[in-house]
Amino acid sequence: MYHIKRVIRRWSSVGVLIIGLALGWMSSATAETTLTLWSHEADEAAKVAWAETAAKKFEQANPGVKVKMTWYQKEALNAALKAALRAGQGPDILYMEPDQTEYIDNGFLLPLNDLINWNNVEPWAREAWTHNGKVYGLAKEAYTIELYYNKDWMKKLGVTLPPNGQVSQAEFLQIVKKAAAAGMTPIAQGVGDRPFPGAYLTHEAVLKKLGRADYGKLLDGKLSWKDPRIVEVFTWVKQLVDAGAYPKSFATLKLGESHYYFHTKPGALMFPMGAFYSGRAFVPPDKGGQPENFPLGVMNFAAMDGGACNQCKSLLAGGSFSINAYSKNQKLAGALLSEMATPEMGTLWVSTIFLQTGIKSDPSKVTGKYAAYFRELAAMNKGAEYFIGSPRNLLKGQCAETYVQVVNTAFPGGLLPVDKALDMVNQACYKP
Amino acid sequence: MGKLSLSIPPAFFPLLVEGPAMAKSVTTMSAVSTSEGLLSTRPEVIQRVRGGPAQAPWGAIMVYLTPALLVYLAFTMYPVVLTFYNSFHVIKPRGAEEYVGLANFITLFTKDPTFWRAVANTMIWATVAPVADVGTGLVLALCLYAKVPFARFFRVAWFTPVLISYVVVGILWMWIYNYDWGIANQFLRTVGLGAWAHSWIGDPATALWALIFAHAWKWAGFNMVVCLAALFALPSEVLEAAELDNCGWFRKLVHIIIPMLRATLLNLLILAFVGKMKVFDLVWIMTRGGPLWSTETVSTYVYKRAFEWNTFDLGYPSAVAAVWFIVVMAFVIGLTWLFRQRERLEY
Repeated sequence: MYHIKRVIRRWSSVGVLIIGLALGWMSSATAETTLTLWSHEADEAAKVAWAETAAKKFEQANPGVKVKMTWYQKEALNAALKAALRAGQGPDILYMEPDQTEYIDNGFLLPLNDLINWNNVEPWAREAWTHNGKVYGLAKEAYTIELYYNKDWMKKLGVTLPPNGQVSQAEFLQIVKKAAAAGMTPIAQGVGDRPFPGAYLTHEAVLKKLGRADYGKLLDGKLSWKDPRIVEVFTWVKQLVDAGAYPKSFATLKLGESHYYFHTKPGALMFPMGAFYSGRAFVPPDKGGQPENFPLGVMNFAAMDGGACNQCKSLLAGGSFSINAYSKNQKLAGALLSEMATPEMGTLWVSTIFLQTGIKSDPSKVTGKYAAYFRELAAMNKGAEYFIGSPRNLLKGQCAETYVQVVNTAFPGGLLPVDKALDMVNQACYKP
Repeated sequence: MGKLSLSIPPAFFPLLVEGPAMAKSVTTMSAVSTSEGLLSTRPEVIQRVRGGPAQAPWGAIMVYLTPALLVYLAFTMYPVVLTFYNSFHVIKPRGAEEYVGLANFITLFTKDPTFWRAVANTMIWATVAPVADVGTGLVLALCLYAKVPFARFFRVAWFTPVLISYVVVGILWMWIYNYDWGIANQFLRTVGLGAWAHSWIGDPATALWALIFAHAWKWAGFNMVVCLAALFALPSEVLEAAELDNCGWFRKLVHIIIPMLRATLLNLLILAFVGKMKVFDLVWIMTRGGPLWSTETVSTYVYKRAFEWNTFDLGYPSAVAAVWFIVVMAFVIGLTWLFRQRERLEY
């Protein structure tokens, strides 16, 4: 009997010890707060490094708080976010782009008005994220729509661009025809995995032709797509398409592949792309970057005959961070975004990612081999008037779907005539 | 063996048999077994078998059925019922919803051309692809049955695509169809037919067919294996009799082999049909429904409406899914009925 009591006592002691250790472990575990962040850009090492730099600084300033970042490809991220948020889950901080207004409409994003020092953010970047007076995102990435070209190939064709890099629409058509005749692909572009690059040439031309006010009306459904000015632009684009402007693999070429197509193999004369081109191209060639000493040039999209605003171009706030309105760590999440929204981090962004940012920065501090690129980019944007946003950002529902299928894919792919393309978009988008 | 027969609890017999026909066969087995001394002529056993459901041990039945039922209710019935419920609402995140009656269905049937395009494409898939899949599978199986050279190698090679995920198959075929360096166009250029080189999945005229072809490539191996098993199960005396009657291989195939494989082929066709009515993966990976909705299927459209459009509303996509569920269900019931009718006629 005594033996049994002794055994029970001994095992009770062991049990108490185990429970004590478990409680101790649990209390130490709960003392550490984990801030979660889900982001796109899994394959863009420089952007990942930038965010990790901000997270390290934040962790040093906030002992006991860890930042756990999960990197996705964009489609996977969007599917994961929609599923998680619907179920009342999701990260504290999430990657967003200004066109994802459904997250704002459904109350998933926390207004950041009082959480960030907005003096460190460009006014237009704040504007791009402002809805009913509330600001919902920190636009770390911003970009203009640019027209890149291969300087050597352009010289080989005997074309000399004017100092402002802008030719007339007739001259542009001639360049395309010359390149095609010389066996070059005039314009590298693919829409295999993105709903926007195929429309770059068209929507920049429409913007220049209409000017900012009418372009805004068009995207708001208040101006008919059968407006004669738009018919003229589409007719010109159709001439480019018929002249063989785009590669035959246009419909299936993916975004990353189109970069490679332009700068490496087989090569192309021109490449309309967001200024985020640098994020993919300015990495080592073995990681998909452009070859060393690639003769990259930046020119402007063609001036439209009778264009209302030939100096207009699209400026987009791109990849941004927002805070989950249901996060239990809202203040900490705000503190992390504040850590990102400093001029030092803005300059770090520009000098390591070689891309514009919505955070105030000092591009003059960009040195090294890409400094010349930044100077050229600045020169091409001198005197530009910006339209904030693009059809991709502003169109919704059936209109957006039709725009993607028609203006992004089928029309530049040579699958539709002008009148049919405009009929389809007008039917879906024009709501007088 | 005697222990074995006695160790089967009599209470489980009703679980093992179904209806009078099976009861009869079990009784016959008992008699045979008895002659071998395996099963005693225990009247309570036979009584239980003959007694049937009247003495069903519900406790035991529920023990076995409950886990499966719970899984079925949670992961099949609940989503189906919820989808139907959602289809009458505008669903907002975090439980908010607004009853809209038949509005989603009215919009779907009267104002949504993309849906009808998706329906047309899906029906083409569902009618053409099963024939291609099963037909190819049957031809391959016949090759192996006829012991073509390297039959063992081909059996593995032709079955391998079945083991590959849709993601890999999609990427593989995107490479094959690539205009610039894809093997399909390279082959055409090599044999002097460069003019036929084509953007196979970039042209609405060819995209759907290119996808169906890739899909058939993936599934032909599965159909081949099933057909091959059925071929080896054919009674050899019938085939030998045909040979004795100087029946040629083609007539033997058309008049003997295929009719005898009819049940297998019908099953494969129905399975393939149902699968194609829900086709999603390959389309999403290769074309995402484009160009110009030429490869849009109902499944890809539901996904787009639920996850790709700038909305959190699940009501409208639920309406599309509900309508399609009914359509698929109707087809399955119809085909099953048709299939059973034929069986009855035959026997």
